[in-house]
Amino acid sequence: MKVTQSRMGMLGAGALLVLVLSACVGGPLEPSWGDLEVLDNNLALAFGTTILQLNPEDGSSVILIDADGNPRTDPETQQLRRWEVGVSGQQVRFYQTPIELNVETLLAASYDRKLFTIEREAARITDTVGIDLPGHVVADVLQTDDLIYVPLSEKDVLALNADDYSQRWRFETTRGVWAQPLLLDGVLYITSMDHFVYAVNAETGESIWQVDLGGAVASTPLLYENALYVGTFAREIVRLSLDGDITARYTTTDWIWGTPVIADNILYAADLVGNVYALELTGDDFTERWRKQVTTRAIRPSPVVVEDRLVVASRDNFVYWLNRNTGDTLVRQDVRGEVMAELLVLEPSETMELSQPMLFVHTMARDNLIFAFPADGNGEALWKYPR
Amino acid sequence: MDFILNPFVTLLTFLYRVFGNDMVLSIAVFTVLIRLLTYPLTIQQQRSTRAMQQLQPELKKLQEKYKGEREKLAQEQMTLYRQYGINPFGGCLPLLIQLPIFLALYQAINMALAATPTQMLDTAGRLLIPGLDSVIPLNNLWLGMDLTQPPNLGVIGTSIESFIPIILIGLVVLTTYLQFRVTMPKPTPNADGKPDQAQQMSQSMGTIMPIMYGFFALSFSVGLAIYFIVSNTIGIVQGILVARSRAKLQPLPAVVTSTTTTSSKSGASGGASRSTPTRVKTTAKPGSNAARNNVKPAAKTSKAK
Repeated sequence: MKVTQSRMGMLGAGALLVLVLSACVGGPLEPSWGDLEVLDNNLALAFGTTILQLNPEDGSSVILIDADGNPRTDPETQQLRRWEVGVSGQQVRFYQTPIELNVETLLAASYDRKLFTIEREAARITDTVGIDLPGHVVADVLQTDDLIYVPLSEKDVLALNADDYSQRWRFETTRGVWAQPLLLDGVLYITSMDHFVYAVNAETGESIWQVDLGGAVASTPLLYENALYVGTFAREIVRLSLDGDITARYTTTDWIWGTPVIADNILYAADLVGNVYALELTGDDFTERWRKQVTTRAIRPSPVVVEDRLVVASRDNFVYWLNRNTGDTLVRQDVRGEVMAELLVLEPSETMELSQPMLFVHTMARDNLIFAFPADGNGEALWKYPR
Repeated sequence: MDFILNPFVTLLTFLYRVFGNDMVLSIAVFTVLIRLLTYPLTIQQQRSTRAMQQLQPELKKLQEKYKGEREKLAQEQMTLYRQYGINPFGGCLPLLIQLPIFLALYQAINMALAATPTQMLDTAGRLLIPGLDSVIPLNNLWLGMDLTQPPNLGVIGTSIESFIPIILIGLVVLTTYLQFRVTMPKPTPNADGKPDQAQQMSQSMGTIMPIMYGFFALSFSVGLAIYFIVSNTIGIVQGILVARSRAKLQPLPAVVTSTTTTSSKSGASGGASRSTPTRVKTTAKPGSNAARNNVKPAAKTSKAK
């Protein structure tokens, strides 16, 4: 009897150990990040299982309005209804903000192989089951008048008919597509984790050319003066002609994830060990203007140019304003959370009631999800969400 | 953990490239290397476990003799351990060292395979050998399964492939069970013929461990399940080899048949006790396998202090 009790005790202890170790190593789920976008003159954000809209001026929640222009209230709690959509489901995670399908409907793709349509006015998911996709989605969906291009994180890009979501064509890649394709003059430029950049006929899905860059590419190409610029995991920044010829290469210290930016003929990019690069585009090749180790943690999002400053944000919880000419750090702000999502700069706007240029930063910390700063970095945060 | 994790991720990626982009093969070879690296610890653990078991009758006697005298009992137990050259923590320490290796391996597999953007970001900067970036991202599909995801038991159908997840879990449970059986010595009954409770508890681990590892494999990832199977298989082979070397030993009469003439007297106040000489009779010969097995035969007469 004693032995049986001991055995039961050991089984219990074993089960407890399993639970503890499960907590230690974590499950397969992890946080996601979507980019900040402007929707209906509001700031829109998707993260985890939630999509919400905020007032960009002060970070307050956007309140839903009924047909008569009155604020909507929840019939049960009598509280004002905020523009916030939550999707239940174990694997639902958003890496992108919704796109505008039409005047009434938004479309959001989730990591769990689903497309969700959202009633714009009511902030309500039309069909909570969603529309099935043949793969996970971590990149932004691209939309034209009649087609929706869906990059799949395992492999391939789908072109769906916008009216019924049926498949028009499927372009095959050997590995995942983690970046929104670039559409230009009927040609879709697709970057893939299989190391290739593909040029594809946007209507038919037929391949036009493809080029091997020697490393995975996780960002959308930048188009500038009839050339494409991409950063790769082969520690390179590459320039491609629109015919698929590699015309310039520059070696970086580590992987480049974010799309480079170009201002005044100078390309800026950042790598995943905290280096920032400024390369002159004059001549046949890249000429290094400066390179700086700004931090030791990854800089995932693309740099942003604000007048004479370059803004980068890192996984070290800081946003840095650099001197564009020298790369020296002028200002840095603690946002108390890792930054993975793209930064967003909004110019002064009457419709959005913005009186000054503002920079919005989305972090991975739920208590410090969004910060708004003066775009030039001078001064403290204007607001943060949640407050 | 980076000091363990970065070399692990680098080695896994390196093996992936060497073995023609075959992730399962690279996990298997990686596991063999880890087992070779931890071989001295494993052997020490197994020998310590056996030696401890052989000492059980002696320990039992001491427990009965010093019932209610905790300090004295501990003192006598330590003397006994010293006599036989046993480190009582020799069995736990290797396990404790292997735990971070196991956790690091799980993370390394997920990082190296990096199925999601967050995992890929975590992989950046961890590759210590230049040029390995060219194989990123690694192929995480094997026999229709995602190596970073738990085996999906919900898709069992009529095809052979659909049974692979359940076969995988079954192999994890089976190899864990077999490893336990070959590494843990059989329980020996007490003098009264009844099973020893401590040994019974150890034996019940033989039930718990396979279930626990099966649960781990089911909860975490296919890649980890492969690690378990390969690691356990190596453990079984090692266990058999150790057991064979043990089989050449004479039975350990030094422990089992020893006669103890230890006696103790309580002080007049009843609080203090005085240790008296302990005599251990042994038939093990100097330089015998018993000595090599960490259980050193004691001199015919020794004094415990």
